[in-house]
Amino acid sequence: MQTPSTEPSNSAEFTTFMRAYQDMVFSTAARLTGDDAQAQDIAQDVFVKAYENFGHLRSSPAAGGWLKTVARNLTLNHLTRYRKRRRLFSELQSDGAEEESPGIDPVIPVPDTVLEDLSDDERRSVIDDGLRRLPEHQRLPLVLYHFEELSYEEIAAHLRISLAKVKTDIRRGRAALLPLFQSRGIAP
Amino acid sequence: MNEPDRDERLAQLLDRTLRGLPPRAAPSGLESRVFGELARRAALPWWRRSFAHWPALARTAFVIMCGALIGGVYLSSGWTVHSLHDSGALSNTAVREALALATATGELAVVFAHAIPSTWLYAGLTAGALLYAFLFGLGSAAYRTLYLMPQAGK
Repeated sequence: MQTPSTEPSNSAEFTTFMRAYQDMVFSTAARLTGDDAQAQDIAQDVFVKAYENFGHLRSSPAAGGWLKTVARNLTLNHLTRYRKRRRLFSELQSDGAEEESPGIDPVIPVPDTVLEDLSDDERRSVIDDGLRRLPEHQRLPLVLYHFEELSYEEIAAHLRISLAKVKTDIRRGRAALLPLFQSRGIAP
Repeated sequence: MNEPDRDERLAQLLDRTLRGLPPRAAPSGLESRVFGELARRAALPWWRRSFAHWPALARTAFVIMCGALIGGVYLSSGWTVHSLHDSGALSNTAVREALALATATGELAVVFAHAIPSTWLYAGLTAGALLYAFLFGLGSAAYRTLYLMPQAGK
């Protein structure tokens, strides 16, 4: 295993590297966890791993992809451990029940555009707030699908749930976000 | 609008909106936290770091000690069984039968080991080592190309 040197020049190079990617790594973790404190812990772990592999990453054009993959995997591992620790099996049981009885989503007219009147910062704030409000079993597949660009099959494999449940949760997550966006002033 | 059309439109709408979203700014303290953690790890004595970071000499000594420990346990267990047998402590029938079975299995293994020509044995060990090296190299190459550079083409 290659251990990076701790020379000051290397630290400066790593600082530049970290500044280039820290927003992306933090965003990935924050959107998946819905919690800034946990996201900061995960981002720290990601960059410690990056430092250990800096010999490869410093010149790799795929460093961003590597960091994104590590951030996603560490976040999913963290959430799995966290869920086990807190014994949230009741939530999983209710998820299973939902899968078998799809229920009826509220029918809200879908607008042509959403949040387009807002600035980037405002739009990001509204969306991140909306994601935080979603239950974990809807937020995770939704973020993995729309932000991480994983397929339904990949999400099912990552989360170890059925394909049907992935689709149901994503559909319901979207349906839950829409009224929130509408309440924040989008043009219907 | 029917339900699948509505779902599809909503999916496209959110997809456009979410994928176009700029990343969130990382907290200003993240950088110092990372360097603090790196400094903390660097200050740890070598024996508290992961095995991969141990000095080569320590790693070699550890492996030799583990081998010696395994050998010691094997030899001492045989010695213990013989001592118990000699002292008559193994009077229980089930224990004696289990011991007889273990002894017979061991003797069978020894017979097989002696039946294999030494050339075959060395050839097998060499083939195993070569296969191990080949698979290790293949794994490293796959790790570098598939994991370290997963999106080089994007």
